[in-house]
Amino acid sequence: MDKIIQEAIQREAQLATRRHFLSSLGTGLGSLALGSFLTNCSSDAGTSFASPLAAKSSPKLGKAKSVIFLHMAGAPSQLELFDYKPSLAKFDGKECPPELLAGKKFAFIRGVPNLLGPKAHFEQRGQAGHWISDYLPHLASQADRVSFLKGMHTDQFNHAPAQLLMHTGSARLGRPSMGSWVSYGLGSENQNLPGFVVLASGGKNPDAGKSAWGSGFLPSIYQGVQCRSEGEPILFIQNPSGVNSDIRKASIETINQINQETYQEFGDPETVARIAQYEMAYKMQSSVPEVMDIKKEPAYIHEMYGTEPGKESFANNCLLARKLVEQGVRFVQLFDWGWDTHGTGLDGSVDYGLHQKCRQIDKASTALLLDLEQRGLLDETLVVWGGEFGRTPMQENREGKKLAYFGRDHHTEAFTMWLAGGGIKPGVSYGETDDLGYSTISGKTSVYDLQATILQCLGFNHEEFTYPFQGRNFRLTDVFGKVIDPILA
Amino acid sequence: MKNLITITILGLAGFFVGKQFWEKESRIDYNTQVKPILNKNCISCHGGVKKQGGFSLLFREEALGKTKFNAAAIVPGHPEKSSFIQRLSLQDPEEKMPYKRPPLSQNEIDILSQWVKEGAEWGEHWAYQPLKKPQVPYSSWWKQALSWVGLQAGWEENEIDHFVASKQAEMGLGHQAKAEKADLLRRLSLDLTGLSPTEAEYRAFETDDSKDAYEKKVDELLKSPRFGEKWASMWMDLARYADTKGYEKDDKRSIWRYRDYVIESFNQNKTYDQFITEQLAGDLLPNPKESQYIATAFHRNTANNDEGGTEDEEFRVAAILDRVNTTWETLQGTSFSCVQCHSHPYDPIRHEEYYQYMAYFNNTRDEDVPDESPYYRHFKSSDQKRVDSLLHFIKNKYPKEHQTWKQTIQFVEPKIHPHWADEFINAALQDNKYLAVRPGGSVRFKAVPMNEKTEMLIAYKNNNDAPTQLVIRQGSLQGKIITQIKLDTTLSEKEGLKKGNWAHGWTYAFYTIPALEGKQDLYWTFNNKTCKPDQNTAVIGYWMLLPKTPEALKNTSFLNLAKQLISTQPEGTTPVLLENPNEYKRNTPVFERGSWLVPGKYVERSIPNLFAKKYPKPVRNRLELAQWMSSPQNPLTARVAVNRFWEQLFGTGLVETLEDLGSQGLTPSHQELLDFLAYQFQFTYQYKPKEFLKYMVMSATYQQSSEFTQESKEKDPSNRYLSHGPRIRLSPEQLRDQALLWSGLLSTKIGGPSVMPEQPEGIWNAPYSGMKWTKSDGEDQWRRSLYTYWRRSSPYPTQVTFDAGTRDICLSRRIRTNTPMQALNALNDPVFMECALFFARKFPQEKEEIFIEKAFYQLFGKEISSSKKKHLMRFYQQVLPMYQKDMMKCREFLHLCPDNSMPKEAPSLIARALVSNVLFNLDESINKP
Repeated sequence: MDKIIQEAIQREAQLATRRHFLSSLGTGLGSLALGSFLTNCSSDAGTSFASPLAAKSSPKLGKAKSVIFLHMAGAPSQLELFDYKPSLAKFDGKECPPELLAGKKFAFIRGVPNLLGPKAHFEQRGQAGHWISDYLPHLASQADRVSFLKGMHTDQFNHAPAQLLMHTGSARLGRPSMGSWVSYGLGSENQNLPGFVVLASGGKNPDAGKSAWGSGFLPSIYQGVQCRSEGEPILFIQNPSGVNSDIRKASIETINQINQETYQEFGDPETVARIAQYEMAYKMQSSVPEVMDIKKEPAYIHEMYGTEPGKESFANNCLLARKLVEQGVRFVQLFDWGWDTHGTGLDGSVDYGLHQKCRQIDKASTALLLDLEQRGLLDETLVVWGGEFGRTPMQENREGKKLAYFGRDHHTEAFTMWLAGGGIKPGVSYGETDDLGYSTISGKTSVYDLQATILQCLGFNHEEFTYPFQGRNFRLTDVFGKVIDPILA
Repeated sequence: MKNLITITILGLAGFFVGKQFWEKESRIDYNTQVKPILNKNCISCHGGVKKQGGFSLLFREEALGKTKFNAAAIVPGHPEKSSFIQRLSLQDPEEKMPYKRPPLSQNEIDILSQWVKEGAEWGEHWAYQPLKKPQVPYSSWWKQALSWVGLQAGWEENEIDHFVASKQAEMGLGHQAKAEKADLLRRLSLDLTGLSPTEAEYRAFETDDSKDAYEKKVDELLKSPRFGEKWASMWMDLARYADTKGYEKDDKRSIWRYRDYVIESFNQNKTYDQFITEQLAGDLLPNPKESQYIATAFHRNTANNDEGGTEDEEFRVAAILDRVNTTWETLQGTSFSCVQCHSHPYDPIRHEEYYQYMAYFNNTRDEDVPDESPYYRHFKSSDQKRVDSLLHFIKNKYPKEHQTWKQTIQFVEPKIHPHWADEFINAALQDNKYLAVRPGGSVRFKAVPMNEKTEMLIAYKNNNDAPTQLVIRQGSLQGKIITQIKLDTTLSEKEGLKKGNWAHGWTYAFYTIPALEGKQDLYWTFNNKTCKPDQNTAVIGYWMLLPKTPEALKNTSFLNLAKQLISTQPEGTTPVLLENPNEYKRNTPVFERGSWLVPGKYVERSIPNLFAKKYPKPVRNRLELAQWMSSPQNPLTARVAVNRFWEQLFGTGLVETLEDLGSQGLTPSHQELLDFLAYQFQFTYQYKPKEFLKYMVMSATYQQSSEFTQESKEKDPSNRYLSHGPRIRLSPEQLRDQALLWSGLLSTKIGGPSVMPEQPEGIWNAPYSGMKWTKSDGEDQWRRSLYTYWRRSSPYPTQVTFDAGTRDICLSRRIRTNTPMQALNALNDPVFMECALFFARKFPQEKEEIFIEKAFYQLFGKEISSSKKKHLMRFYQQVLPMYQKDMMKCREFLHLCPDNSMPKEAPSLIARALVSNVLFNLDESINKP
């Protein structure tokens, strides 16, 4: 067996063109990826053999080695959380000035809406003096660890396209997601786990669906693997009922023994790769349930995150994200839902519903930062928090009606995101909005800029990190994006 | 006869000997020598996107024009006067070219310089050159002579093999002898029908010693209805076929009749030109049949956005752009989407030409509305007969009015959708979809073409206890009242008023209005006294104007009959392409930098000049566009199609980038073979797919063994030179279908609505959608994978895991991966385990050793080797006692309830099922041999 693999490995090293997706890359990252792929093959036999997920290094070593992206799907209101606007409070209930509405389109606001003052209480926190409302007391206590982008803007005012833009750099379907790009560029440091994992609170997917973690035109091995909180953590990772792990082991051994003979008959290098993949599948069957099991975590950790094993909560997913990153997973994408506070019901109001949502995530997302820090992982893990767009300074008046609850419509021109950890200078606030929080007046940051900055933290120049498809070199940031240097360490 | 052959051979010998002494002209060739240098070093700054210094090398006339230095950079015939050449050798870092990059080699400079000296002629990229039949490169004159009289000598079976062998000789490679019979049959059967052969087929083929046994089998498989299913599977990716609309809600869409059309077309051996013409322009053919309308659903597979608050026009435009890009990618192998934002960076297609081309597609009636109008209404046959006879009557008596009445009755078109409205007062577009108006509220419908029409239909909802008064005025809110009507849902159903349940739940009624000329601004005001100020008087789904009733029919029952037919409930619908009537015609602007929000000047329909200059006929609409595509003057259609067919059989296209044969696509491995095949397909076989596929599978290249040799591993690692047969991992469809076939569960039902086989819980969890995966009953859970319900946001797991994509956009080729997730899927998916169990049950009485032998033969049509048998036996003996000892485990495995009795042979059945599970997971099962 060893001999066969050894032989095939050497062969593999010569077969530089075998895998199209590596062979067709001419310049930039591609050749680097290919280089490290080959080195990896000859130096590390066995499990990582022939694996496109083998760990690779970025062109310029990045400060961050992995990313945890906490997406609050539905879009949280920056005006109740971070973007403090006393003037808006002053004009609360007044009609919105017509010049703000001229030529603008909103998802649901019709006619002339009223301005809506902030519904939360704000204070300046930490040495940095970030304004953070009392909706997020835990985060407020760690204000100096994070940096804010307060001048975020997007060009999509509906959830699905805006989420697609955030995660794939295009509001249309069909492009690879950020996590796919990253695992394509960096591989995975753990061959028994996928490189890109997706966790959705309560198993509820975001509006954009699986396309938000699709691999687009990149090979499908780079797509996000959704770990489920209910049923099997990964599809088909459990043996069928009545089949135990010994039997599965014996069957994989039998398959591989016969496949070795098949390799002798046909000499197809893919057969050897398949032998390795079946072995890895067996290893994943034990490693994935293990990493996905939070029961064994000590009590103080559960206390810190507010986790309850068996629950489908955001808190559990934060803890899982830490465990996954610790195990070498490159990109962990969390989705939480219920942030779409239009004011059509109590749960969707900015004074009550939003506060409840914050309670569900505040402790856990803060614990994630502290836990990463205490393990020495925060320096190399980039944590990103935010929604797909912002919310209007005006109260929503769906179809021209005054709604029973305080809510805000989708808003593209200003919203806030925060970043922390690997590559980020802590305590910075970048970008500013006008007195009403309607539009960004300085430090305008597009979704592409955010993506460029995230890639930068990982060591990639977003303009050179490309993949050839349909006759052109595609990149995550399309033809846009500039790195936001002021927030970089 | 013999003499004739001798004379022919001698004559030919003389001819070929003479030919050796012809001299070749040696001029610099633009395509093979110059263009690669330009593409690599110059074009990114001096191409279609950037034109640094006012200099671009994309078009000759541009390159010879004045740059910003007010002089031409290239002076044909004079390299010494051409700064394009001179700057290549400069030292000054600001002046030298390529700017801030390593200089060209002396050889490259010599080539460019000689090229300028010879006149700097631009050549055309090979794929844009007209298709000519290349010479077959026979390795010897006697092989050619023999082939002329229909004989083959040596390895070669037909022309394909001569091309292949010639390249192999050039590369110092050999080829393989014919594959084993069983392997060959499995390969052929998987390729032509998508299914593995049955045991009976293996036996029959094994024992058929006749010379044409293989050819007979080819013919038989081509006749099988499974043929259409297999080749439709390929087309589904190109058509981005799905059973849902995409985007947030990703709601259901009824478009399976299109899938059945594709299956049927392949089974009928429909010529490729007709096939693509029907899909692009079936609605514009003379007297289109139902199937030809259904064919146009090809381009209704675009995503449709139902998310609340989305702008219909934005997503209508997105769908049109997708149609343009898909047409180019799938049918013309050209990456056209670049041109959406700027001139093509590498190929000579200009920005404006994208929009001239888009204009062909930009005038269909669809507007991203939730009901997916326009759709073909499929009536039950007795109703369709009534429709046909009325339309037939009009066609005979009033041929000019036939089309408009057909659109009205068969399609209920042209609908006017709520997004046409503006000037909302106390009114709004509910969810950006439907028009909702409060008491006293009003809207305007601007510039509606009235043209003396006198009948209108309104589809509405009114939840109030009393009818809503709708007043329609002309020109302004104070204008002349055209009509006052009641939107009533309080009356019982009668003629002209249908409550709900028809055409997406709207109540609707017909109203007579006075004749108005030309285009009119209509102001609609709504009132309902029972309505509170914040309640809706009514919600409007759509409305439309009926065509004018012919004068002579005014006092007949014609109009009533027509209305009756309009109100007839169809059995189903399929979204289709339908051209706008003239008065609704849309004009097409250029979008500056590709953004629909920045329209530039308006353009007329045209194909890019690169092609138009070679095509003598006008191309004025989609139909003529499709006709151009299949004409002898189109250089791409046949090349792209045969490249796809080739890829399906051999795993890699002759041009690997199936999606791009343009100058940025990869270089063809066998350009002349590709041209030859394209020529054969288009002219010799007149676009008939079955004949053409037969020609390909009859080649020795296809039939050779797929054994890798040391030599092939070194010199031909990815088998681009076909040094052995194609050993390719099966598609997810083939993998599941063969497991079903082996188990005996596979249903042979063809067509119909998509089905939902077993799927793990929790795959479908999109928000804002009530759709549920409900496992189909009976044989429907074991249909071929082609029929599995395809939801774009969460396709069937096996499809995703084995590289099938999502069908959000067209997919030219699936890049095959080899991952642990695939192993887990094939090992543990209950569907695969169920198949293994049913397969094991086929051999109840056999001893285990015989079972293993028979099972192996059923799968691969050959005897199992003794060592493989040994491994399987050992596994069987290892597993069996575990179940004999543990009856609980048996119950778990067989999903038995506590009160079910346990069959005595359960442990051995389970052990055999597990052996079968191993067999189904072998590399041999997962690959085409």
